[in-house]
Amino acid sequence: MSESRGDHLLSITDSALGYMSLEDMLSELLERIRDSLEVDTAAVLLLDEDRGVLVARAARGLEEEVRQGVQVPLARGFAGRVAAEARPIIIDLDHADVVNPILRQKGIRSMLGVPLHVEGRVIGVMHIGTLVKRDFDEDDVTLLQLAADRAALAIDNARISEQRAVTAIMQRTLLPDALPEIPGMRFSAKYLPAGSGIKIGGDWYDVFQLATGDLAFVIGDVVGRGVLAASVMAEIRTALRAYMVQGHELAEVVSMLNELLASMDRSRGATLSILKLDPEAEELEAVIAGHLPPLLIEPGGQTQLLEQRPGLPVGVSTGHDYEAFRHSFPTGSGLLLYTDGLIERRNESIDAGLRRLEDAASAAAHRSDSTLADSVYRALLDETPLEDDVALLAIESVPLEGRLEMTLPARPNVLGGLRKTIGRWLQAAGAGEDELFDITLSASEAAANAIEHAYGAREATFTIYCDRHDRQVTIVVRDTGRWRTARPPGGGRGLEIMRSLLDDVQVASNDEGTVVTMTKKLSSQA
Amino acid sequence: MSRLEIEQIDGVPIARVYEDIDAANAAVVRQQLDEALGPDALSLVVDLSATRYVDSAGIDMLLRLNDRLDHRRAKLILVIPEASQLKRLIAIVGLPEAITIHSSLENALREKAKSQAR
Repeated sequence: MSESRGDHLLSITDSALGYMSLEDMLSELLERIRDSLEVDTAAVLLLDEDRGVLVARAARGLEEEVRQGVQVPLARGFAGRVAAEARPIIIDLDHADVVNPILRQKGIRSMLGVPLHVEGRVIGVMHIGTLVKRDFDEDDVTLLQLAADRAALAIDNARISEQRAVTAIMQRTLLPDALPEIPGMRFSAKYLPAGSGIKIGGDWYDVFQLATGDLAFVIGDVVGRGVLAASVMAEIRTALRAYMVQGHELAEVVSMLNELLASMDRSRGATLSILKLDPEAEELEAVIAGHLPPLLIEPGGQTQLLEQRPGLPVGVSTGHDYEAFRHSFPTGSGLLLYTDGLIERRNESIDAGLRRLEDAASAAAHRSDSTLADSVYRALLDETPLEDDVALLAIESVPLEGRLEMTLPARPNVLGGLRKTIGRWLQAAGAGEDELFDITLSASEAAANAIEHAYGAREATFTIYCDRHDRQVTIVVRDTGRWRTARPPGGGRGLEIMRSLLDDVQVASNDEGTVVTMTKKLSSQA
Repeated sequence: MSRLEIEQIDGVPIARVYEDIDAANAAVVRQQLDEALGPDALSLVVDLSATRYVDSAGIDMLLRLNDRLDHRRAKLILVIPEASQLKRLIAIVGLPEAITIHSSLENALREKAKSQAR
């Protein structure tokens, strides 16, 4: 008799694997168990390892368990003991200790529970109950265990698929953004989480431009590996961006992040360095939170580790401050931000690793056949199998010469960056302070008009060209917005300002868009 | 926040601006200045000593703010140092005809004290 019971019962797990959701399959299985074993209730609880509790996942005759999210601590009560002792247990509720109030409320008298095993680990419990007293026999135990074994396999497979899907999505969203394209700057990076098949980890880098035109660089390393470290990394990355965009000072940003991590339950420690570059003033500001020192490459090729004012890692303790320091970053300079996976080797001191980094950076600077990040990475690791995550961000400031051309999104927050780039270009051209101000402000006005003409159309862009012939500077701003005789921002004052500050301003517009051409002759100083 | 700091000196709200004022942030700066002013203040000093660029959107915002204060019989005072590029700019758009400009915060406060004493 038990064989035919078993066949009917177990056939469900085979066929269902293909087309049913895990929930539905378990529900169907529990229903068949109720029939075959002639019991009143059947339920599956799964173990949440992080929190050490069993959570009801599916039930027949006991749907309340699932609906109310019943949780049974490991080793406590009936299900808890089955899981902790990893063996079948039979109880008589009149005499037993049960944690779950629903079992008593239902009027259950007898129960049989078996563990769900996968590869020697207990992942949950399956139990059945009756409303009248019942003496479960060996056949019952064997059959229930068989059903549980099949269910365990199906559950494990479903979990793996689910985790893969989640990981795939996380990987895509947590990967670093594409490196920005900014005239006068060159960025390159390497991002290699250790471990096969996993494309994300606790190391990260970030580069973004603020509305003021300053550039922010971040390198960081969350304790641990894999998906958990990556999710903490994502929170840190987002928080840093938010605080920076709000305009807080660098030291304050790191303090605020530290406080944020301290307020979170499952926070982890992390080391990081965050820097802000004013590309026009050519000055770098930095805060280091327990991270390896950034490496500065001077225009002449000499290297210097920036080891000033090292602060404590974040997410570990509170009540301490962070301090920023500054360093000049003239055109031709380079900067390397990296995580310890890049330089650490067994049986070698950190100092030796840093020496190797400095040598690699010196040799790699100014090479034109590969990016700075690639050159440094190849010199240090190349064929070596990765033992630890590696993140490397290389930043170079290059001369702004000849024609300057930028295509920018038609959003007001690009104006600050536009002014800094044009200011830098004019500085290189030998413009005096007054004329630099006049030309930059005028270009900014024309750009603001172009942005306004886009009328908030998503994906709209505009282009700006800056040329110089001898001392004559010509700037052209071209947008594709439709001309409308609406009042531009500043009520037409923008054009008045431009005409007063420059030698000539021409505005030509048609159905295709508007072109503004501005010229100014620089005074012969340089 | 470091971009705009508000202080009260002798009962006068002072807003120190540490960023450019342009089409990107003129509206936000306007909000912050409104808050600094509050319902009762009779004057507002906007210190632009640390501000480099103010574009037409920013100028427009200041003129409208000035109008609004006028209606309340309140006064807007700008601090723009002599050496600042903004000095040349505001002359071009005729700002000094509408708004009181001082070359330093000390001058602005001294002037305020004098006018109150009268």
